[in-house]
Amino acid sequence: MQTLIKVENLVKRYARRNPAGGQEELLALDGVSFEVLAGSTLAVVGESGSGKSTLALCLACLEEATSGSIWLEGKDICKVAEKERREMRPQIQMIFQDPANSLNPRWRTLEIVTEPLVLRGGISRDEMKKQVYALLGRVGLPAETAKRLPCELSGGQRQRLAIARVLALEPKVLILDEALSALDCSVQAQIANLLMELQGALGMTYVFITHDLGMAAHLADEIVVMNGGRIVERGRAEEVLREPREEITRRLVAAVPRLTRSPLAPIGR
Amino acid sequence: MMRYFLRRLGHAFLLIFGVSILAFLFTTLAPGNYFDEMRLNPQIAPETVAALRAQYQLDRPLVVRYASWVNSLIHGEMGFSFAYNSPVAPLLLVRARNTLLLTVTATVLAWGIALPAGVWSAERVGRLPDRLISWGTAALLVIPDLALALGLLVLAVRTGWFPTGGMASVDFEDFSLLHKLRDLALHLALPILALVLSALPLLVRHVRAAVAEVLGAPFMLAAQGHGIPRRTLLYRYALPAAANPLISLFGFSIGALLSGSLLIEVVMSWPGLGPFLLEAILSRDLYVVIGGVLFSTVFLVTGNFLADMLLYWADPRIRTKSGAR
Amino acid sequence: MRLRRSVAKWLVVLGVLHGIVVCAGFFAPYDPAEQDRKSPYLPPMRVHVVDEEGHFHARPFVYAFRLRQGTFDQYEEDAARSYPLRFFVRGARYRLLGILPSRLHLFGAEDLRIYLLGTDAYGRDQLSRLVFGGQVSLLAGLLGAGITLSLGLCIGAVAGYYGGWRDDVLMRVAELFLALPWLYLLFAVRAFLPLTVRPLAAFFLIVAVIGAVGWARPARLVRAVVLSAKERDFVRAARGFGAKDVYLLRWHILPETGSVLLTQAAILVPQYVLAEMTLSFLGLGVPEPVPSWGNLLSSLQQYSVLVSYWWMYLPTLAMVPFFLGYLGLASSLQERGPAYKIERRSLGSLT
Repeated sequence: MQTLIKVENLVKRYARRNPAGGQEELLALDGVSFEVLAGSTLAVVGESGSGKSTLALCLACLEEATSGSIWLEGKDICKVAEKERREMRPQIQMIFQDPANSLNPRWRTLEIVTEPLVLRGGISRDEMKKQVYALLGRVGLPAETAKRLPCELSGGQRQRLAIARVLALEPKVLILDEALSALDCSVQAQIANLLMELQGALGMTYVFITHDLGMAAHLADEIVVMNGGRIVERGRAEEVLREPREEITRRLVAAVPRLTRSPLAPIGR
Repeated sequence: MMRYFLRRLGHAFLLIFGVSILAFLFTTLAPGNYFDEMRLNPQIAPETVAALRAQYQLDRPLVVRYASWVNSLIHGEMGFSFAYNSPVAPLLLVRARNTLLLTVTATVLAWGIALPAGVWSAERVGRLPDRLISWGTAALLVIPDLALALGLLVLAVRTGWFPTGGMASVDFEDFSLLHKLRDLALHLALPILALVLSALPLLVRHVRAAVAEVLGAPFMLAAQGHGIPRRTLLYRYALPAAANPLISLFGFSIGALLSGSLLIEVVMSWPGLGPFLLEAILSRDLYVVIGGVLFSTVFLVTGNFLADMLLYWADPRIRTKSGAR
Repeated sequence: MRLRRSVAKWLVVLGVLHGIVVCAGFFAPYDPAEQDRKSPYLPPMRVHVVDEEGHFHARPFVYAFRLRQGTFDQYEEDAARSYPLRFFVRGARYRLLGILPSRLHLFGAEDLRIYLLGTDAYGRDQLSRLVFGGQVSLLAGLLGAGITLSLGLCIGAVAGYYGGWRDDVLMRVAELFLALPWLYLLFAVRAFLPLTVRPLAAFFLIVAVIGAVGWARPARLVRAVVLSAKERDFVRAARGFGAKDVYLLRWHILPETGSVLLTQAAILVPQYVLAEMTLSFLGLGVPEPVPSWGNLLSSLQQYSVLVSYWWMYLPTLAMVPFFLGYLGLASSLQERGPAYKIERRSLGSLT
């Protein structure tokens, strides 16, 4: 397998105006580097404030990095011109954490899924309609949900909707920013299975951002642990879970809920 | 604390400065001025008009005029009134004092009624007293202040209980101190009533809304659960939490009351900035207009500055954000 | 578009009220400019159904006025002859909605000019002037509000969406405008424009002034909405699909400002009508002979009029039902929940 994404020394600083009138700087990413193999799933794990959401936004070109590079298919998407970047956008798409927030509550399902097709342009209305219904079926949404508003759908259905619209662009990379965290436990499993199935069928590469190490281990091939804007540990999923080296990783592992008579050996204290 | 104070003060000065520039800017758009009227008068020789124009520097570029105006401001003159042939400042100061008297008294009275009424109403949301107050304020809100002012004037005329205009009776000077106060109060009564009645409904509504929102908050419910007595709940828990929107409302109300006072002064012949400003507009007395507008700005900005300081004292969140870290 | 019940109710009320004013020619018995020099300051005529002898008449009637003996401005009813009220009469020519010529009026009396609200110094019918005056004042309010909200929307959107120096500059200027009490600001701007202009020019002048002066508060509100909408994930997602700024603003961000703008409109229109009334009352607004609610009142500045001719005060109350309607509308818009649901979003109507 070859490397699809290569992140080199990514740095992101935020300048915030504090309410009393001064300026303060927030260093969200402090020189992050890693690689993702094509067709695999990388999990980025960390607590709140570790910088993982910022990483997600930068990867999806929704935030501009202060410095560093992100290589995708030989091009540095950080430094590429606006027009070219817009052409590359369909290749990297993002699924957000809260579908209630990531879907326009005033729009109906049909319009939501059609939006990316309209923006890309180039096909007729009828063709768009056909594709949309096909996509809805692909993610397991019945055809009658097409006329509904997001508030009339369940959490799981909404997330399926978010996935459907992103598939319209046939992306190579899917960034999942805590995509399962806002869902109920049983629904999480369903959506996770859908995602895995889609990955197998369409050959997408996933970057899975989460604070839940257990979920990451279940879904990912490789894991990268972030803390304070830096990567502090990396390795294959089972290894990180079995032999965490850093203190923060140990804490994350300990936070994974476990049944008392689990086949997994207790991790050393 | 000092830093916040100085920052707000500097902000206030910048605002006043900015408004003065804005006012001056408008003058460049002004077609016609005081001397055009004179020019139309065949009895006055054109040379006289030209000489007067030069004397009042109307032919100099805007920046020069502004600079000399600021200079006269520093000397306490604020430009020159063409109509009254005197520096603007002394003319305005008397008027400003009268407007201040009217507006400050009205503010105190209006808040003195609105706060208790709003709180009382908020405590009984949805029940009869609250509904009565809601209807009462709605009834007052739909009556235009012009109607209120004129109506009160008609009332004064018909009943003769109140004087129908002005600030003092003809033989004011001969009165004893007590009599003078009584006379002033009588003259003040109608304008104050008009102002307060026009501002009251909005104030009561907003106070009620702000307090009702706080009363419904979870922390109030928790405090109630702790068995804290009603009075303490209200004064030491609810009101401080509502302080932020209330103080902002206070700042806003000063602007509304100042605007209201303009109209009411004209209708009721109260010798404040209002009628003077109107007269100056109609006679194109440039510097008086600028001066009058600036005075009103100073009042409003001062009022808001006070509100900011009050907010600083009342809301600890502002203190922590700006000072201690 | 589905509206909440309370909102729809108030819209109907306002529609009826505005409808009356729009069809002023029909509801007003006479042309507002028509003078009757022989009847200055006539008090309102009383409509009777029972005559002097106690007989009941199905058709209401009025008596003419005659001067009381020994006075020059006191009138009393002349019961010698009664003039029945007729409905849907033919009267002065006018153009309905400015286009259709018509001569039909709602009511009138034969052989007598009927003055339900009295007359002014020139003998002009106050009721007719009131209805026609409403056209001017209400239009001024509506147009002014339209200007203010358009300005506020543009400026707020630019400030909120682009941020940076644009935001700083625009918000500082907004603060300047807010630092002046609004009536003083209105006066200041009006002051520096020509004083004596023809009625049509004056009308547009004061509409422009009233509209241009009040943009600051709506701009701030729009800016706040845009700032928060900008951070919503669905905007981010759309950007991820390749949407440009204009697209995002048009389809995702600005629609969020709809309810703020509507509520502001319901609050601003009555405020602006009042502003026009104030300006015209003081002689700075729409001049004679065009009637507006403001200049109908300007004669009240004379003490003699104020004291003796109470019916000249009535135009102040003309505004009250309109205020009530707008107040009700604003309240109903501010209730919880969506005020309206837009059923079709035409992103290329697929459904």
